Formats: sequence, C-alpha cells, structure tokens
Amino acid sequence: MLDAELVKYLPVAAVLLPLVACIPLWAIEQRSAQIRDWFAISINAISLGLIVAMYPTIARGGTIFLEFPQLLPPFGISFKVDVVGFSFALIAAFVWLLCTIYSKSYMEYEPACNRYYPFLLLCLSGCLGVFLTGDLFSLFLFFELMSLASYVLVVHNQTKEALAVGYRYLMLTLVASLSLLFAIIITFEVTGSTSLVSGNYFPAASGLASITFFAFLAGFGMKMGIVPFHIWLPEAHPVAPAGASALLSGIMLKTGAYGLLRVIYQVFGMETVSGAGWQTMLLVMAGITILFGSALAIAQRGLKKRLAYSSIAQMGYILMGMALFNENGLTGDVYHVFTHALIKSTLFLCAGAIISATGKHTVDEIKGIGYRMPVTMTCFTIAALAMIGIPPLNGFVSKVFLSVGALDAGQSAYAVILVISSLMNGIYYLPIVISAFLGGEGEAIGPIKRRFGLEMAPSMMVPIVILSVAIFATGLMPEGFALQLSKAAAQLLLSS
Amino acid sequence: MNDPTVHIPVIVICTSLIGAFLAPVLGKYRPALVGLMARLIAPVNALLLVILLRYVDAGETFHYYMGGWAPPWGIALSVDYLAIYVALIIHLVSAVILLYAKDDLFGEVRGDLHRWYYTLFLLLVAAMTALAFSHDFFNIFVFTEIATIAACALIAIKPKKECIEASFKYLILSTVGSGFILLALALIYMVTGHFNLTLVAQNMGAAAEAYPLNIMVSLALLIVGFGVKSALFPLHVWLPDAHSSAPSPSSAVLSGLVVKIYAVVLIRIILTVFGGEVLAAAPIADMILIIASVAIIAGSLFALAQTDIKLLLAFSTVAQVGYIYMGISLLSETGTMGGLVHIFNHALMKTLLFLAAGAIIHQTGLRKISDLDGIAKRMPITMAVFSVGALSMVGIPGFNGFISKMYLATGAFDAGKPVFILVILMSSLLNGLYYLPIVVRAFLGTNAEEGKFAKDELPLSMTFPLVILGLACIYFGLLPGSLLELVRKAAHYLIAV
Repeated sequence: MLDAELVKYLPVAAVLLPLVACIPLWAIEQRSAQIRDWFAISINAISLGLIVAMYPTIARGGTIFLEFPQLLPPFGISFKVDVVGFSFALIAAFVWLLCTIYSKSYMEYEPACNRYYPFLLLCLSGCLGVFLTGDLFSLFLFFELMSLASYVLVVHNQTKEALAVGYRYLMLTLVASLSLLFAIIITFEVTGSTSLVSGNYFPAASGLASITFFAFLAGFGMKMGIVPFHIWLPEAHPVAPAGASALLSGIMLKTGAYGLLRVIYQVFGMETVSGAGWQTMLLVMAGITILFGSALAIAQRGLKKRLAYSSIAQMGYILMGMALFNENGLTGDVYHVFTHALIKSTLFLCAGAIISATGKHTVDEIKGIGYRMPVTMTCFTIAALAMIGIPPLNGFVSKVFLSVGALDAGQSAYAVILVISSLMNGIYYLPIVISAFLGGEGEAIGPIKRRFGLEMAPSMMVPIVILSVAIFATGLMPEGFALQLSKAAAQLLLSS
Repeated sequence: MNDPTVHIPVIVICTSLIGAFLAPVLGKYRPALVGLMARLIAPVNALLLVILLRYVDAGETFHYYMGGWAPPWGIALSVDYLAIYVALIIHLVSAVILLYAKDDLFGEVRGDLHRWYYTLFLLLVAAMTALAFSHDFFNIFVFTEIATIAACALIAIKPKKECIEASFKYLILSTVGSGFILLALALIYMVTGHFNLTLVAQNMGAAAEAYPLNIMVSLALLIVGFGVKSALFPLHVWLPDAHSSAPSPSSAVLSGLVVKIYAVVLIRIILTVFGGEVLAAAPIADMILIIASVAIIAGSLFALAQTDIKLLLAFSTVAQVGYIYMGISLLSETGTMGGLVHIFNHALMKTLLFLAAGAIIHQTGLRKISDLDGIAKRMPITMAVFSVGALSMVGIPGFNGFISKMYLATGAFDAGKPVFILVILMSSLLNGLYYLPIVVRAFLGTNAEEGKFAKDELPLSMTFPLVILGLACIYFGLLPGSLLELVRKAAHYLIAV
C-alpha cells in the first residue's frame, strides 16, 4: 500500500516521466539504437506501472488531486484522476507499451528512428496528460502536445504523400485547438473556472452556450474523427508507421471521446444538452458516422485504409454511447473504448506485420497469407471477429451494452443501426479473413521476409499475441476488470 | 530624493548617449573595444533598471525632475511601472542583439562602418529609453526624431540599393509622421499652455470644452503621426521593405522594439493625457480596435503571400503590432495586460526569428523560403530555436506567445466584445499557416542537394543569443508569474487614470 502523500504525485509522475525522458533518450540515441529502444520501452513500462499503482485508490472510489496554480496563470495546471480518467489512461499506457515493443523490430529498417522514439514518448505524455488532468485548460495543454507530437509520427516517412497528408492534419489540428481554446475561454469566463468538477455547469441554453458547445464539439470531434470532421483521419492513419498507426487509431482518437464525455457530463450537464436538442443532434451524427465509416471501409482496397475508415465507424459507436444518457449506454461506451483500443491496435499491428513481411498493401494482394503467416492471421481473425461482435469476444459485450442502452433510451432505431453496422463490419472484415485462409496457399505473395525463422520478429509477435489474448480474456470474463471499471465510470458520470 | 537610485533613469539614458558618442572616437583607435563597450552598456543598464524596479516596488512611482527643476520649467521623467517595464525590455533585448551583432555584422556592414553602427544602435537605445520615461511633449518629440533618424541610418548602413531605397521611404514617411506630431503638439500647447503631460492633462478638461476642435484635431494628428511610426495598418507601407532589407541585428531591433515604443507613447498620451472625457466624446478606442483587427488579419494575409523569409517576418510584425493596439484599446484590465505583455513576448519572439533568419542568411545566403528544404540538417540549433519562435507565434501553449493570446482573448471577453476573440484565433490560424510550413520544410524537406550548405554551425556568439531567446520564450511561456505581476502594475497605471 502506498502512502497517500505519494499517491498524489503518481499522475504527475506518469505524465511527466515520458516528457522528461525525451532528453536522456536524445542523448542515448546518439550512441546506441539498441539502448534507445530498451530505454523507451522501460519508460513506457514505468509509466504504466505508475498508473496501475493508482488502482487501489481508484478502486476504493477515491480521486487523486494535485494542482500547480503558479504554472501558466490564470488557470494553473492541475491533475485529477477519477475512475473515468484512470480507465482511459490505463488502456492507453498498456497499448502504448505493446506498440513500443512492437516498434523495436518493426522500425529496425526504417529511417529516422531517432526522431520516432522521442516523439512517441512526447505523444504518450500528452495522451496520458489529457486523461489525468483535472481541468479543461490543462487538458487542452496536453491535447496540444499530443496533437503536435503526433504530426511528426504521421509524416514519419517523409514521402510527398505523407507530407501532404501531414499538412492537412496539422492545419485541422490547429483549427481544432483554436476552437477548443475559444470554448475554454468562454467557459472560464462564464462559469469562473475550468475545473472538471460536478455541479459547476454552464448556465442553460443561450446563444453563447450553443457557440461554446459547438466549438467543443468541433475541437474534440476533429480529434475523434466524427463525420463531418473526419477528413484528415483516413489519410493520416495509414501513412504512419504501423506502431504509430495503431496508437493513432487505437488510443489517440479516444482523447477526443474523453474530452467530449467531460464536456457533456461535467461542463454542460445532461439537462442542458438534452434540453437544447444537442442530444438528438449528437445521436444523428453518431448514426451518420457509423454508417458512413462502415460504407466507405467496404469500398477501400488498401488494408490500412480500410482499418482507418473502420475506426471512424467505431468512434461513431462511442459518440452514440455517450449521447444515450443512461447507464447501460455509458457502460458500453467506456467498455467500447477498451474494446476498440485492443482490437484496432491488434489489427493495425497485424497489418504492419503483413506489410513489412510481404510488402503488399492491398486487400487483394494477400490471398492465402494465412498459410505464410498463420499467427498473424489468427490474431487478425480474432480481432476481426471481435469487431463484428461475435460472442464471446469483447466486441460483443460492448455491442450488447450499447444496444440495451439504445433501447433503454427509447431510441430503438440506433439498436438497428448497430445491427446493420455489425453486418457491414462483417462485409469488410470477413473477406480478408476468408481469402487469407481459403484463397489458395499464397502463391501470389512470393517469399516472405522471415526473421529468426518466424514469420516476424518475436518482439513484434509478442505484443500482437498479448493483445489477442486480451481480446479473448475481456470477452470471456463478462464481469471482469474492464467492465467493473466501465460501470464505475458510467455511474460517476451519470451522478455528476 | 537623496537616494542615488532615483537618478537611474537619467543614468541609463545618458550612458547610452555617451556610449554612442564615444563609439566613433574609440573605434578609430581601439576598434576591438567598441563592440565590447556597447555589449556592456546594455546589460549593465538593464541591471540598473532592475534595481530601480526594486526601489519603486518598495516605495512608489515618482516623477524625476532634471536638476531639481520642477515643471513647468524643468524636464520631467515619469518613473512609473510602464516606463520601467518598457525600458527593461529595450535593454534586455538590445543586449542580446548586440551579442549577436558581433559576428553577424562582418557579413553585412563594411568594416570601417562598424563603429558608426554601434553609435547608431546606442543612440537608438538611448532615444527609445528616453521615450519610455519622458513626461513632457517636447522631449517626446525630440527623442522621436532621434529614434527615427537613427533607425533610418541603421537600415541604410548596409551598402545595398534596396536598403537605401527602403530607408529613404521610411525616412520620408516618418518625417511626415513627425510633422503631424509637431503640429499636434503645437495645437495642444496653444490651448493648454503646457508641455508637461501632467499639466496638460489637468488643463485638458477645460481646453476640450473651450476648443474642442483643437483637441480633436490634435488627437487625430497624433494617432496618424505615431501610427505611421508604429506601422499601424494601413500606415505600415514602409515597414516590410525597411525591416526586411536591413542588416539582421537592425531588423531585430526595428521589429522587436522600435515600432512598439511609438505604440506605447501614443497609448500613454491617449489614455493618460486626453483621458476619459475626450475618449467618451469620440469613439477613439473603438476605432483603434477595428483598425487593429484589420491590421491583424491583413498583416497575416500579406505574410502568407511572401516568399522571402525576412519579408514574411516583417509583415508578421504588422499583424503583431495590431495585437498590442487591440489589447490596450479593449480598455479592460486583462486586455491591457495582454497588449502590454505582448510587447515583451513579441520582442522576444520576433527578435529570435529575425536573428535566426539572419543566421540562415549569414551561413547560406538563402532568403527564399522554398530554398530552405532540409536546412535543419545543417543548422539544427538555429532551426530548433526558430521552431520555438514559430510555435510561440502561433500561440501553442507552453510558449510565451500563448500567454499574450490568452490575456487578449480573456480581455476581449471582459470588455464585452467576444467577437475579437475570433479575430485573435483567426490570426493564430493564419500564423500557423505561414510559420509552420517553414519549420516542416526545414526539418522534413528532402529536396536538399548534398553539400548545398557549405558552412556548418554558427559561431558561438551567434548561437548563444539565439538559445537564450529560445529558452526565454519557453520560460515565460511556462512561468510568466513575475512578468505578469509587473505588467499588471503597468496596466493599472494606464487604465486607472
């Protein structure tokens, strides 16, 4: 058991450690690539450890709070961890660690790794910062850090295409951050504080309130990839290296979702949001996002591009869950954050493994890959099935909760949308799986690059396998750890 | 009045002036010592100003009468927080620029002119400091003229056709501005009978009642006169050429300091001398607010279209001067703080950017942005620092530009004019549009031909000032507490009266 005084500093340490570690990392990477990789991995692991260490406090229903008012007046920086932030941070740090381990071998033959790792750590710091801070302003600060640092990950390959995509990403990020800043200033001026505590709601609907809400929605929605703010996403995620794509799609999208959750439940409050008709609007947006993302995913030939469009659809699920305003819906929402983080990072890492072993990027070129890369494709299949929502995998659990939530809210149309979207997920995931295992023995692929006699380096295989096991485990234990956290988070948000 | 500390304003002004006159003589016999002297004067004066600040903090602000002669006969200096704040900025930033100038000048100015360069620089510093402290119209006019002439000469000292042309343009327009100011002073003297700011302010109410036309005309003339000198849009036409063609240390001091001093003087006159009644009679504040907004947007749009890096920085200054005017004319406490703190922040950022651009030109001779692909591989420190300046300009939190933007935005809200928040945010976006591509190009551009940049990193005397400025941008972005405290007091001086 940790001393209460020490626990207070855990969030700060978890956030600042990766940030500060960039400096020694920079010094180390001038000398040895090997030590650099291990150093980055261990920093990740320590951060994860620090977050896990908060669990006892959080499990007791407590919150951790620490503030530094002297930094950046007039707002100050504060760290506050409750069960919502903890859940997000936990899954983020966990997936981050696995992706960093994966990157070790994946990036071996890529140029400019000395840039990749520091920015990966900066992003981690920003991402954890978003989840663990206690006021909108600090959240914004880390949100910016993450957004800008992830730009460097997106343009990692420095190709013309990557730079063009990166430019669009950068400009939209700026627009998003400015609209967030606008919203935060107005919130600060109107409510007198930006801290995320219950009860200090924005006064009910007025012109200013609507503008503020839409500014928040644009800012966080841009990061989240909600239609119509999604335009950067399907381009930016595929061009990044696989480890970074997995994190962009699996984790960083969730910062937007997290921000919106806080805004809806703690800045405006459910009454205002539903009273002003924004709830309906959010639901409609969610429905459009789900159907649009799935439909376009079907049309993609590029493997990573298909995954990216699928992410848009999945973020629609999350938006829908938070707009249902009932416990089942919200539980499903937070649970789906876990689910999607695990599934999508598995899929992206598998896709990365396939691309690095075969050099093939499109769905049609990888017929019969299951024979050449059985482990990869087994894990891919598990993740794909989970995404479709086949029981007993975890995707099923989140869909059940979301559907029940939709019915509880009297929005049966959205339960139907969920079913349709599952069907569409099937349409674009199953053909990949079927052609991988039943489309011949991979004659067209040619020899794959084997490492250590395996289909990929062990440090790539281990993270993929761990993630797949996690998909199984969270699905098989319906009353398990993830669901407990999701339920607690839902209750906390609803009670505020 | 027996404490020697009270004489610091005069000492500061006079040391710079004496230094200016010593420089050519000293340079004739001991050329090596001239630069050293100039580089010593600025930081020592900055230190003296800090002592003065402590003294004022412990007691209160005061008026200093030269030789003990009280106005209306003697010369008065106003030792208030605004003056000390501005003077501190002048000396701190000049100290850094002078450090940088040591090696940069060899590439840009003929060797035998170096001593004259230091003369002009110190003259400019002295004149700006005097403008900050002056408490009567006559001295304001005299030092405005000195600063203008010195600034023009600092551009023309580079033996290039476009520098002569730009400085000539600057000289003509500035002189027209001076003429306006002189006329305004004559009109004010005519109806109030005084030059001392306090005395004029006391008589302003009666004068405005008896001769409203005089007061209004003089106010208009002052705004145009100082507007030209501080490049308030649309009177900025001389600025881009002047600032971009000058030697890099001159560009830095002109963009970083000179334009703002005129803005401060104008604002001080409008707010403390003309005061509430006149402002109530004519919507001066709202007019400046709108002009400033146009300046912010137009300056950024012009900058967006530039292909020359120094021209881009110069147009960006037009926009940033708009920030300062906007903040103060919002007339709310936070808005005024935003405008004033931006004087400091912009001085840091723009000096940094001009010096970094100068370093690039010094090393490679490249000025076109499209030629800078991959330059960070050759000049990593310079470009890292440039990135800090660029991010700061865009207003990324954690850098000092964000603090001013924050205060300007909250100020706009406090003043009940949230529309202007949009102007500020819009301009941040535009800043991003023209600054970030340079950074991206420098670090990620792949078109660089091998061996295109013959020389490698800079001499320490150029790197060191850049790094100092970069660190300052980050420090004041994260821990602006003490700075904001000073700025708050300066703002109170302006809007409490």
